[in-house]
Amino acid sequence: MHVMEGCLPGPWWQIWFAISIPVIAYGIYKLNKLVDERRDILPLLAVAGAFIFVLSALKLPSVTGSCSHPTGTGLAAILFGPAVTAVLGTIVLLYQALFLAHGGLTTLGANAFSMGIVGPVVAYVIYKAGMKMNLNFYVVVFLAATFGDWATYVVTSIELALAFPSAVGGSLTSFKAFATIFAVTQVPLAIIEGAVTALIFKYIIQVKEDVLVGLNVMTADTIRKIRGSAA
Amino acid sequence: MNNLLDDYALASPLRHHSNWLKLAIVAFGLLVGVSSPSPATPLFITLSMGFATLFFGKIPLKFYLKLVLLPLGFAATGSVVILFFFGTGGEVFSLEIFGYRLVANTGGVEMALLVISRTVSGMSCVFFLALSTPMIELFAVVKRSGIPDSVVELSMLMYRYIFLFLDVAISIKDAQTIRLGYTNFRRSVYSIAMLASTLFIRSWEQGEKLYIAMDSRCYDGKLTVFEAKRPIRAPEAVLTTVYAILTIALLHFTGNAGFI
Repeated sequence: MHVMEGCLPGPWWQIWFAISIPVIAYGIYKLNKLVDERRDILPLLAVAGAFIFVLSALKLPSVTGSCSHPTGTGLAAILFGPAVTAVLGTIVLLYQALFLAHGGLTTLGANAFSMGIVGPVVAYVIYKAGMKMNLNFYVVVFLAATFGDWATYVVTSIELALAFPSAVGGSLTSFKAFATIFAVTQVPLAIIEGAVTALIFKYIIQVKEDVLVGLNVMTADTIRKIRGSAA
Repeated sequence: MNNLLDDYALASPLRHHSNWLKLAIVAFGLLVGVSSPSPATPLFITLSMGFATLFFGKIPLKFYLKLVLLPLGFAATGSVVILFFFGTGGEVFSLEIFGYRLVANTGGVEMALLVISRTVSGMSCVFFLALSTPMIELFAVVKRSGIPDSVVELSMLMYRYIFLFLDVAISIKDAQTIRLGYTNFRRSVYSIAMLASTLFIRSWEQGEKLYIAMDSRCYDGKLTVFEAKRPIRAPEAVLTTVYAILTIALLHFTGNAGFI
C-alpha cells in the first residue's frame, strides 16, 4: 500500500516527514541501545530486514488478480517491537523506492508513517493484548498481522484524503472514496497476509524456537504450551 | 522481480560520474516537480530525465517504458477518486454506477492530470538515480551525511543480503511451481507460507554465521567504504545549469504559486 512518488502535493509530504522523523529518531535511539547491549543483534536485524524486502518482492496469491504483495510489518513488529521496526521499515521502503519503484522519495515520510509506524504499532498492541487475554497464539498472530495491514490501508487513505479534500463534504467524503476503492484489494489481501504470518510462526515454532526465546518474544514455557496444544 | 534496477545501474556509463551532481539533479527535479502548479513543468522534467536515462545511461527503451508504465496503475486508481470528488467548475462528463451519478468537473480533471504528471516526473527522477547510481556508490555519500553509523551499517548489511535471499526465494518458488504448488488458491497460500518461513529460518541462520564471521575479524561496528574521487567536469556542469535554468523559467511562466 504505497503512496506513489509525486502523489502528495504541497505541504503534505513535508508534514508527514515532520511526523515520521521524530519516531524514526526514537527508533534509532532504541536500536543503538540494543546494539550496545547485544552485539550480535545487528547482523540478525540486517538479515531480518533483507527478509522483509524479499517477502515484499514476492507476489501473494490474490483474489482480484491485482498486483499485491505482503508487507511483513506484522511479523517484524511481533519479533522486534514497533520502535526498531520503524527503522527497519524505513530502510526497506527506501530500497523499495530505489530498486522496485514502489513508493517514492518525497512520499517516503508518508509511507514510513503508514507502513513503518502505524501498522506495526497496531499489530504490536493487538499481539500484546491478545497474549495477555490468553487467546490461542496463532489466532493472535493472525489478528495482529491482519489489523496491522488494515491500519496501514486506513492511514494511507487518510493521507490521500487530507491532501485531496472533496469539493462537497471535504476530506471525509474523499476519505470514503479512497477507502472504498482500495478496500477491493486491501481487505482480502490483509486476511491472506494474516494467515501467511500465522503459518510462518507455526514453522518457526516447530523448527527454530530458540529465535523467539532469544528475542524475548516468548519464554520456553509458552512455546512448550503452544506445541502441546497443537499436538 | 528478476530485474532489479541496481543491475542496470552497475553497468551504466553514468556510474562513473559525480554522485553529488546526480543527487543534486534528482533532488532538484523531485522538488520542482512536486511543487509545480501546472502539468507543463513536470512534463519537461520527465522528458529531460527520460532522455538522460536513455541516451547518457544507455538503458534499453523497451525496458524503460515498461518500468514507467508499471507504477502508473496505482497513480490511475488514486486519480479516479480525485477526478470525481475534487474541485469545482463546469461538468466535463458523468457516469452512472449503481444508481450513483458521478460527475467529473474541470477542476477535477485538471487536478487528476496534474497529479499523474507529478507522479510520472517524480518516477523519472527516481529511475534516473536508480538506473545510474548503484547503492554501493551511495553508501559513501550517506556515511558522510551524518546519519547514525548503526543505521548505515544496518542498511549496508541488508543490501548485501537482499540479493542472496532473492536468489534463494526464486529457486524455492521455481521448485514449488514445478511441483504444482501454485495451481489453486489454497495451495498457493500454503506454498507461499512455506517459502517465507523456510527463507526466514535460513536467513536467520545466515545472520548468526555472519556475526561469528565478522566478530572473529574484529568487527567493531564500522565497515569502511571507499569513495572514489569523481570531479564534476565542465560539460556536465554546463548541461545541468542549462537544464535547471530552463526548468525554472518554465515553472515561472506557467503560473507559479509562490515557489520563486
